[in-house]
Amino acid sequence: MSEAPLLQINHVKLDFHTYAGEVKALDGVTFNIKRGEALGLVGESGCGKSVTALSITGLLPENASVTSGEILFAGKNLLTIRNDEMRKIRAGQIAMVFQDPTTFLNPVLTIGEQLEEVFLLNPARLASAALENGQSKNKTKSSLSKSEQRKIAKLLSIDVLKQVRLGDQDRVLTQYPHELSGGMRQRCMIAMALARNPDLFIADEITTALDVTIQAQILELLRDLKREFHGSTLLITHDLGIVAELCDRVGVMYAGNIVELADVRELFANPLHPYTKGLMRAIPMLGRELDRLETIQGTVPDLINPPSGCRFHPRCPFVLEKCKSVKPELLDVGKGHTVACHLYGEEKA
Amino acid sequence: MPPLRGREGMTQRILEVKNVTKWFPITAGLLGRTSGYVKALDGVDLDVNKGETFGLVGESGSGKTTLGRCILRLYQPTSGEIAYRGQDITKLKGETFEKIRRKFGIVFQDPYASLDPRQTVKSALIEPMKYHKLVRNNEEAMSKAKELIKRVGLNEDHLYRFPHEFSGGQRQRIAVARALTTDPDIIILDEPTSFLDVSVQAQILNLLSDLQEELDLTYLFISHNLSVIEHMSNRVGVMYLGKIVEAAPKEIVYRKPEHPYTHALISALPIPDPALSRQRVVLAGDIPSPANIPHGCRFRTRCPYAKDACTESEPALETRQPGHLVSCHFDLKMPAPIPSLGTASR
Repeated sequence: MSEAPLLQINHVKLDFHTYAGEVKALDGVTFNIKRGEALGLVGESGCGKSVTALSITGLLPENASVTSGEILFAGKNLLTIRNDEMRKIRAGQIAMVFQDPTTFLNPVLTIGEQLEEVFLLNPARLASAALENGQSKNKTKSSLSKSEQRKIAKLLSIDVLKQVRLGDQDRVLTQYPHELSGGMRQRCMIAMALARNPDLFIADEITTALDVTIQAQILELLRDLKREFHGSTLLITHDLGIVAELCDRVGVMYAGNIVELADVRELFANPLHPYTKGLMRAIPMLGRELDRLETIQGTVPDLINPPSGCRFHPRCPFVLEKCKSVKPELLDVGKGHTVACHLYGEEKA
Repeated sequence: MPPLRGREGMTQRILEVKNVTKWFPITAGLLGRTSGYVKALDGVDLDVNKGETFGLVGESGSGKTTLGRCILRLYQPTSGEIAYRGQDITKLKGETFEKIRRKFGIVFQDPYASLDPRQTVKSALIEPMKYHKLVRNNEEAMSKAKELIKRVGLNEDHLYRFPHEFSGGQRQRIAVARALTTDPDIIILDEPTSFLDVSVQAQILNLLSDLQEELDLTYLFISHNLSVIEHMSNRVGVMYLGKIVEAAPKEIVYRKPEHPYTHALISALPIPDPALSRQRVVLAGDIPSPANIPHGCRFRTRCPYAKDACTESEPALETRQPGHLVSCHFDLKMPAPIPSLGTASR
C-alpha cells in the first residue's frame, strides 16, 4: 500500500445530453488500479463500464460531459489536460482494445502499416531497438534513415505478433483486416496495444464478439500475457467467468455506480451487495443443479430519471426506508472489501 | 434428474430429423452460375421426445439456426426427412401443411427485429389465431389474447401498446406469447436470451420452464451459451460444421463427453469460480468455412487427436451407449472437461 496507485478515479459524474434529456450515466464512480494488477469491471449493459473506460482514455463522444470528479494517472488529471497531451498518453502509456476489432482496424491499410506506425511514431524506441540489433553504426537518435526506420519497425512488429501467438508473421503484416478471421484481428488489436508497452491496458469486452473456442484462445493469451506484461490491466466484461479467471480485484457496477469492490476470491466467496448476490444467482452455472434461477425483479432503470437514493432500491429485496432517499457511499468492511449499501453501514459504525 | 421432465417411462418421439441437408448455392458472375455450395446442414440426424427440452449447441456457422428454420420450413431442406409424429413434413403442401405447421412455434433471437413495429401486441397475437381459424369470433380471440398475455407475465393493458414501448425482456415475453397463439406442441427457441442482460435472462428462462410444465410443451433450444443449455435441457446435441457430432443426456455431454470437439467446447467455458484451477483444452485455428468442409472427419483440422484414419473417411454418428451418440473414429479416453463438475457444491 506504500506505492501510489497508477490510476485513481475519484467521484466521477458524467452526463450525456440527448433529446430525451440528461442521461446520468456515471454517478460518482470511485476506484483505483494499482501497478501490475488486473482490475475487472462487471455489470449489465448500460451500467457505465464502457463509459468509465472511455473517460479514462479521453475518447468520450461529444455529447458527454464530466460534471465533477477527477481521474489521476501518474499524477496528472486526465480530465483537464490538453488534447495533444492526451493523445501522447494514448500513444504510449494507456492502450485500449475494443469489443469489435473490425470497427477499429483501418480496412484500407495492411496490418503491417497499422502496426509499424506505432513504432515509427516513437523514435526513441526505434533507436534503442536499432542499437540492440546492431543495425545502426551511428548512435544518435535522429540519424536513422527512413528505410532503416521501416526495417526496424518491421522487426519490432514481427516480435509483437509473436508475442500474441500469431503464426506466419511476415504474411500477416502484408494482409488487410478483411483477410483475417475475427480471432486473428483481435490478436492484431492486442498486438497494437502491447506494441506501445503501456502502463495501463484497457480491454473492453474483447472476447464478446468471438466464438467460445476462439474466446478460449484469447483468454489463454491474456493469461500468458499477464505473466509477461508488467503493466496494469482494466478488464471490462459482463461475463463473471472471465473476471474469475483473469482478474485480481473486481468492481461490480450498477446504473452508473460501483456498488461493490473486492478481491476476486473474496467477492465470489462472500458477495455482500444485494445486486452482486442477485447477479451471481441469476446466471446458470455449470454443475449447479437448480430447478429455477433466482431473478432480480424489474429491469435496469432509465438513467434520465434514475431512482433517488440508492439506484438499486426499486429492485432490492432488502430495501430500507433510508435507501429511498440517501445514496450509500462505498464502505470498507475489511480485507479491502468495499460495498455501497446501507445494510452494512450500521454495524461498522 | 430423470431424463424427461414430468412423465417418465413413456417416451413419445415427436420430431425426427433424418439426414437433413441444406446447401445454399454460391453464385458467381453475370450469369449467376453456381460455383459451389455453402453446406450449412450436411446430414443432420436428431430426434426429440415429447415433453423434453433438446438443447442444440455449436459455434457460429455450425448450422444451428438453419436447422431450426428447416424444421419450420422457413427454409426448404435440400434433402432428407423431417417427421412430426411419424409423418414426413418436408413435402407437404397447402392446407395439410398449415395444419401441421401450427403445431410448431418459434421464438427468435432478436426481439427488436422479430416484432412488427407497426403492429400492436393485440394484433400480433390475434393474427395467427385467425389465420389458422382457431377462433370463431373476435371475442374469443380477444379472451385468448388476454389469457396469453397474462400467462407470459404481462397484463391486459399491454395488449394495446406497440413494441417500442417495451424493454427487451418484455418484448421477448411478447414473442413467447405469440409463439403460443396456435397451441403448439413444440417450440423452437433460437437463442431466445442472447440479446438480454443476465438478470432479465433469468426471468425469461424461468418463464419458459414454467410454460413447459403448464402446457406440456416440447422445446428445441438453440444456443451458443453452454451454461444456459445445461440449465434448460434434458438432452444435448453438439453441432460442428453442419453435422451433429455428439448427442446424449446432458449429464454425459457435460461430464463425460467422448467427442474431442465437445470436450474442447466445454473446457473452453469460463467458470465463475476463481478457486477453480484447470487445464483448458485450447483448439488451434478457426472453424473452417462451411463452403469448404474438410474431407474425412470435418473436425480433424482442429482435433488434437487426429490421425491418418481421420483424413480417409468420415466417422458415422454411432450409438455408443443407449442414448449416447458420437461421431468419432476413436474411443478416446479424455479427462473430465471441468474437473470439479459434479463435486462442486454451491
